[in-house]
Amino acid sequence: MHADADTASARTHGGALLASELRVLFRRWRTWAMLAALASIPVLMAVVVRLSSEPPGPGEGPPFLDQVTNNGMFVAVTALVLTTPLFLPLTVAVVSGDTIAGEASLGTLRYLLVAPAGRVRLLLVKYVSTVAFCVAASGTVLLTGWLIGAALFGTGEATLLSGDTIGVGDAVVRSLLVGAHVTICMLGLAAVGLFISTLTDAGVGAMAAVAVLTIVAQVLGQLDQLAWLHPWLFTHHWLAFADLLREPIVWTSFTENALLQAAYVAFFGALAYGRFSTKDVLS
Amino acid sequence: MARTWSRWLPAAAVPLVVAGSVAFAAQAGADELPERTPEDVLTLLADRDHQPYSGEFEQTSDLGLPQLPGGVDLPDADGDAAAVTAALEALTSDHGGRVLVGEQDQARVQVFESFGERDVIVNGDEVWVYDSDENAATHATVPADARTAPLDQQLTPDEVADRFIEAVGPSTELSVREDVEVAGRAAYDLVLTPRTDATLVAEVAIAVDGETGQPLRVSVTARGEHAPAFQLGYTSLDLAAPDADLFEFTPPAGAEVEEIAPPAQDQGRDDAEQVEHPEPTVVGTGWESVAILDAGTTDIGAEPLLAQLTTAVDGGRLLGTDLVNVLIADDGRVLVGAVPLERLQAAAAE
Repeated sequence: MHADADTASARTHGGALLASELRVLFRRWRTWAMLAALASIPVLMAVVVRLSSEPPGPGEGPPFLDQVTNNGMFVAVTALVLTTPLFLPLTVAVVSGDTIAGEASLGTLRYLLVAPAGRVRLLLVKYVSTVAFCVAASGTVLLTGWLIGAALFGTGEATLLSGDTIGVGDAVVRSLLVGAHVTICMLGLAAVGLFISTLTDAGVGAMAAVAVLTIVAQVLGQLDQLAWLHPWLFTHHWLAFADLLREPIVWTSFTENALLQAAYVAFFGALAYGRFSTKDVLS
Repeated sequence: MARTWSRWLPAAAVPLVVAGSVAFAAQAGADELPERTPEDVLTLLADRDHQPYSGEFEQTSDLGLPQLPGGVDLPDADGDAAAVTAALEALTSDHGGRVLVGEQDQARVQVFESFGERDVIVNGDEVWVYDSDENAATHATVPADARTAPLDQQLTPDEVADRFIEAVGPSTELSVREDVEVAGRAAYDLVLTPRTDATLVAEVAIAVDGETGQPLRVSVTARGEHAPAFQLGYTSLDLAAPDADLFEFTPPAGAEVEEIAPPAQDQGRDDAEQVEHPEPTVVGTGWESVAILDAGTTDIGAEPLLAQLTTAVDGGRLLGTDLVNVLIADDGRVLVGAVPLERLQAAAAE
C-alpha cells in the first residue's frame, strides 16, 4: 500500500518534473532564437530561388534545388539537406550539452536532486526534453519549408530520384519521412551530449565538445582508409534520406540508421547513468 | 562507495549486447541444402525459370588501381575516351543499386548515387534510360530478341554470372564449396578454377540460390590475394513480383528527352555496330585468351588520365590491375587479357 503510494507520487513527480523542464526549455530566448535561425534557412533559400532571374538547372546547387520550382514541398527537403550536416546538430549540441552541466554551473543541480526524484529520473527527464527539442527543430525546418514553398511556388507534381512523378499527397508523406529520418539521426547525438554534459560543470565546454564531435565524425566519414569504421559512426546515415526519395522507397538505410541510433542512445545513456549516479554533486 | 562500480555495469553490457546481436545476425543459419555435384549446380543454374523479384545489390572492387574521383569530367572527353573513362569508373568505384524484374521482358536496374540515380527501364520493346543528375531521359524501341549489349555500364549479378558460365570449358575446373548465405538465402558456392597458371585469375566463385537457381553473387579473386578483387552480389532479395507500374516509365516534366531511332533491319544494325565497335581479334583460348583491338581513331595513350594510370613497359604502356592487364602497344593496338604482362607482350610481337 505504502509502496504503491510511493510509486504513484514518484510518477506524478516525474511528470511534473518533465512538464516544468519543457516549460523552461521552450520559454528560453535561446531556444526560440535557435528555432528562428533554423526557420530562416528555408525562407532564405526559397526567396533567393524565387528572385533569381533563371531557375536552377538540374544538378546545380544543393540536391533537389531544381525541383523547388515545380513543387514548393521540396523547399523543405532541400532545407533539410542543407541543415542536417551542421546547423541542426549545432542546436542539438547546445541543448544537450547544457542539460546537466548547465544546471551545475547555475548551482541549481543540487536543488533538483533534493527531491526524491532521484538522479535516474532527472537524466531521463533531461533526455526526453532534448528529444522534444530535436523534434521541434527538424519540425521547424520542415514546416517553414512547406509554408514558404507553397506560398512562393505553389504545390504541383514532384519528381523522385528515380524519375517517377508523384502528387502532392505523396510528396507530403515523403517529406514527413525525411523529417522523421533526420529527427532519428539527432537522437544518438543528443545521448552523446547528455553524457558529455555529466562530465563537466561548464555548460559551454560541453556544448563545444559535442559540436566538435559532430564535425570530427563527419570528417572521419570522408576518409576512405577508415571504411571499416564508417558504418559505426553516428553521422554515417545522416544524408541517406535520399533513399526515401527513390521509387519504390529503399528502407535499408532508414532501418539501419534507427538501429544504430538506438545503440548510441543505449550506450551513451548507460555511460551517462554510470557517471551521473556516481558523481559528487557539489554545486 | 564500494558498490559504485556496479553503476557502470549497464555501460559495459550495451557493447556486449550489440556485438552479440551483430554476431548472431551474421551467424543466422543457412538452411541445409541437399548435396549436389558441380554439374548438378550448373544444371540448376541453366534450367532456372523466369522469376520476378526485386533485390538490392552492391558492387565492390579492389583492383589495385587508385580510386577515380567520381563525377569529374575530363576536359574534352568525348567519344571513345569518354566511354573508356566511364567503363573505368564503373569498374573501380564501389556502388550499389537495385534490380527489379517483373514479367518476361520487364526489368528495371537502378544505380544509386548519394543524391542521384540512374535508371534503365525495359518493358517489352520499350527501353528508357533516365539520369537524375542531368534530368535527361533516352527512349528507344528495340525488339527484345535484337537486344545484345546491356544499355548501361552496370551489369547485374545474373548477367555477370551467366557470362562466366558461358565461358566454362575444358580449361576450367568446377567444384562446389560449403554452402554460403547470400541476401538471406542459402546458396551453393560454385567455384570456377582455371586449370592454367598463365592467368591472373585465381578463382571465380558464384553463389547459386539453392531453391531457384538464381546467381546471387559473383566474386573474382586474383592470384596471390585472399579477398576478392571484384565482387557483385545481392544484399537483399524479395521474390515477390514488383508493382507493374514501375515498368511503365513516363519522363518527368521538364526532362530532356532524346529519342533514338529504331534500327531499320538487323543487317543495318550489324553494320552500324561494326563501325562503332570493331570486333577484337582473340588470340589464345580460355583463361589465357588475349583480345586485340585495332588502333582506334583517338590516341588513347594521350589521354591525361590514362597517361597517369599507365606505366611505360617494353613495347608500349601498361595499365596493370590485379585481375586484368591492358597493354597499349606503341603501334596503337590495345591488348587486353586476364594474363601476365609477358603474355600480352608476346601476343603483341606475334
